Amino acid sequence: MKAPPFAFDGVVRLTKVGTSYVLFTVVIGFAALNTGNNALYIGLTFLLGCLLLSGIASKGGLKHLRVEFSAIGQPWVGRPAHGMLRLHNDSRIWNVRDVVICGGELEPVLVPIVSRRSAIEVPVTLHFDHRGIVTVNRLDFYTRYPFGFFLKKRRIRIHGEVIVYPRVLAGERERRRMEATAEGEIATNRIGIGGEVHSFREYVRGDSLRHVAWKKSASLGRWIIKQTEAEAAKSVHVVLDPYKPLGVSDEAFEEIVSAAATYIYYSMERGLEVILSLPRVSLHSKADDATPLFRALALVEPAYEPFAIPYERNAVVFSVGRHDDARTA
Amino acid sequence: MTPARREIETLLLTSFAAVPLYATNAVGVLPLVMFHAVMAGIILRVARGKSPELIPAPVMRVVALLYIGFYVVDAAFISRNAIAASTHLVLFIATYQPIESARTRNYAQRLLTTALIFVASIATSTHITILLFVIAFAFLMFRQLMYVSHIETVAALGHEYAEPPSSRAATFYLAGTACIAAVLFPVVPRVRNPMMQGIGGSLTNASTGLSDTIDFNHERSSTPDPSVVARVWISADAAPFFTPIRLRGAIYDRFSRNQWLQSAGRFRELRSRDGVYRIARPVGLQRVMTVQQHLMSNSRVYLPTGAYAVSGLPALFEGPQSEALTTMPLRRATDMVTLDVSVARDIEPLRSVEPHVVNYPRNDEVTALARQIVGPSSDPLEQAGKIEQYLSTKFRYVADPSAIGHPMTVDRFLLRDHVGHCEYFAAGMVALLSALDVPARIAGGFYGGRFNPLTGYFVIRREDAHAWVEVWNGTRWTTFDPTPATLRPGTDQTGLLRAYVSALGESVTYYWDRYVLTYGLGDQVAMAANAITAVRDAMRSVKVRMSDQMTRLRSPSTVAFILVILAAGALAISVAGRRRPVFDLLASHLRRFGINVGPAMTMEEALAELRANHPYDARELEPLIAMYEAERFSPHPDPRRRKTIRRRLAELKA
Repeated sequence: MKAPPFAFDGVVRLTKVGTSYVLFTVVIGFAALNTGNNALYIGLTFLLGCLLLSGIASKGGLKHLRVEFSAIGQPWVGRPAHGMLRLHNDSRIWNVRDVVICGGELEPVLVPIVSRRSAIEVPVTLHFDHRGIVTVNRLDFYTRYPFGFFLKKRRIRIHGEVIVYPRVLAGERERRRMEATAEGEIATNRIGIGGEVHSFREYVRGDSLRHVAWKKSASLGRWIIKQTEAEAAKSVHVVLDPYKPLGVSDEAFEEIVSAAATYIYYSMERGLEVILSLPRVSLHSKADDATPLFRALALVEPAYEPFAIPYERNAVVFSVGRHDDARTA
Repeated sequence: MTPARREIETLLLTSFAAVPLYATNAVGVLPLVMFHAVMAGIILRVARGKSPELIPAPVMRVVALLYIGFYVVDAAFISRNAIAASTHLVLFIATYQPIESARTRNYAQRLLTTALIFVASIATSTHITILLFVIAFAFLMFRQLMYVSHIETVAALGHEYAEPPSSRAATFYLAGTACIAAVLFPVVPRVRNPMMQGIGGSLTNASTGLSDTIDFNHERSSTPDPSVVARVWISADAAPFFTPIRLRGAIYDRFSRNQWLQSAGRFRELRSRDGVYRIARPVGLQRVMTVQQHLMSNSRVYLPTGAYAVSGLPALFEGPQSEALTTMPLRRATDMVTLDVSVARDIEPLRSVEPHVVNYPRNDEVTALARQIVGPSSDPLEQAGKIEQYLSTKFRYVADPSAIGHPMTVDRFLLRDHVGHCEYFAAGMVALLSALDVPARIAGGFYGGRFNPLTGYFVIRREDAHAWVEVWNGTRWTTFDPTPATLRPGTDQTGLLRAYVSALGESVTYYWDRYVLTYGLGDQVAMAANAITAVRDAMRSVKVRMSDQMTRLRSPSTVAFILVILAAGALAISVAGRRRPVFDLLASHLRRFGINVGPAMTMEEALAELRANHPYDARELEPLIAMYEAERFSPHPDPRRRKTIRRRLAELKA
């Protein structure tokens, strides 16, 4: 995220208004000392008092701020993620006004006022530029309040981790390219939602009684579950091969992950069931929720040795290293 | 707040900043009126939703370029004063900037210009009401600064955000700033440049209303002026003898062309002994008064009649007029001198004098009148007394000389009109005495004053200016006052409430004058010295008190008392420890290992936690907890078990 123009390293900066004010105070001080005019001394002490109070107020206000993320929406690379910051002002004295909050991924946001001993919710927007686990460990608070003489900064440490999903390619071209193919209602030879019986297995805790094979259970004397076969027209099988041969750039690998995410995204949008196969794990989408799949894609790391991933004839394989034997999207 | 309202507030603030300049006369009225007229025009335009370009900006730019040359002309020929010319320039800039703001964002610069006008206003002000102006200005300025702070922040973000309300915040910061300023004001060093005269305006009450001559060729006039000339402290035992107060400053002992003039005297510096200047020889009752006085532009010192010695002045001169006393001019017009004056019921000159009869032209009618008044009497004081009584009873006094309506000679006052104010009464008496060849003269100064019960001093104001008569009795000058006593200045009757309100106002003015306007390096040195003395005294007092306490503590009875207290305390702690529930004792013991046994935790759970972290200590505590559990849940409580647990815990603790 682009930093605001007033961002700086350090704690406090004198603004242009503040510089003018200090110069003005010096001039008045010089005039007062030179002339011994006590009316000027009154003005001078007011100017000094104002300057001092300004410094105390800006420091005292920021010092007692606490912040935490109360909510963050689905974070995708390249898409604004909306979240909510909860801001507490623990100060007994100072209201804090015109505070700009910014951080690595946070779009700068202005908080008009946080009254003393109160808390407010601030809607924020975050922008992530890479997938995976992103640690939000600091937020910078800037304020010119009360009089704009100083730009005061306070860095607040927070502890937050966000799993950022891969980039979903937008655009009509990408959408058409990534549309899952409809291949008719034929069996896929995979366990899933469908009408055909695929196999039987022992009952395990958590299985629905709707899937109990009553006749078989009665004959065998124990609970047997009936597994159905997924229908191809309602499901797609996506395989992501994380093998990254030498010479392939990280960007190319990320593109493949993004492509897989895009494919899954649009498949879900069309109401298809999605199965994502990664080395040693296969994940099924549930109803309208593909969160586990995207989470897996967010966390997938490139492998530097080839894996043997079993996949079917109709599987859509995303790979940067096996163009010869796989169909890529 | 809408941008238009915000703009109007800014324009009003700029206009407001210049208001005190009307009273301080730092610049002429015409430039101020022009400034406010232009600002009012701009405000009206903005209020009607138009741009502030009262004058087209290109035209204004040309005017601004021309003003650079005009500034030099103004400083050299028109104002003849760089400060006044600079103030004009700032006022011009203040009108130029709103017009220019339609094209350029110059909000901060406009506030700076406003602040410059504010400085010009306060730098030349001395009245206490300037404090109210400073507070009002600071409040409005704080609102503006908060707005600038807001728009600067928002501009950097590129989004529109509503400005939070700022009035309460401005009030809060104003209170804080005022408190800090009140603390800083006395300690900011007053080391002024001795070569610099200063830009402070003169106090409106810095000079008295007395004129150098009493000119009866023109109609006399006077306007009520409550400005303070002097404050006089008199002790209660002296007050009956030395009140009403007469501060004498001028002697009119020469007559020429219907004018009463002061004779020229030899200008010489008086010598002091131990800082005391002796100016006369006392006769009769003597007391001391303290007089605080603003000096006139000619640095004349006004002393109470009967003053024979004075101290508190760096130098004292006699002259340039006869019997006039002057001192060194003060560095600032706002400064005051404080004099200790020794007074006597009567004083005689230090050197022999030869008083003369005033050269008032003889007039048969006046002489006849004088003889008619005094009758067969030949003693000058007796004659003076009769004339005084005659004038004060037969003549009519008017407080305002302009009420007479025409210029009047003293002869006409005496012979025809019989109406006048104090100068006519005094001049008439001198004319009558001169006709009788009695040396007499008019004394000018201030009379009476008003007693302030809150501060215990008499306040003499410019409106207390008065003229009376001094008559030579052969050895000294004696005071006579032909003006009717009840009609003299300062004798008007007011209600009690009004008197107290007036006294309160005067007290505030006094403290303002004393501790703000005239506060200086000397006060700071005195304050530092007082602080050091106070600290030293406090330390000495503490030392003495501690020494006393130590002496008392060493006594056998005190030692025994302390021992008894300590023993009782130890016993109480022991008993309290014994009576503590066993659970609390175990919990306290476990706390040493970092295990907080909460209300929902059993001793068994605590023991399990202790086993995990401190297995060795857990083995020691295990039998005690088992004993506690047995005791706790046994239907037959056994005090021996509790005693054993307490003892073992005490051993473990040791």
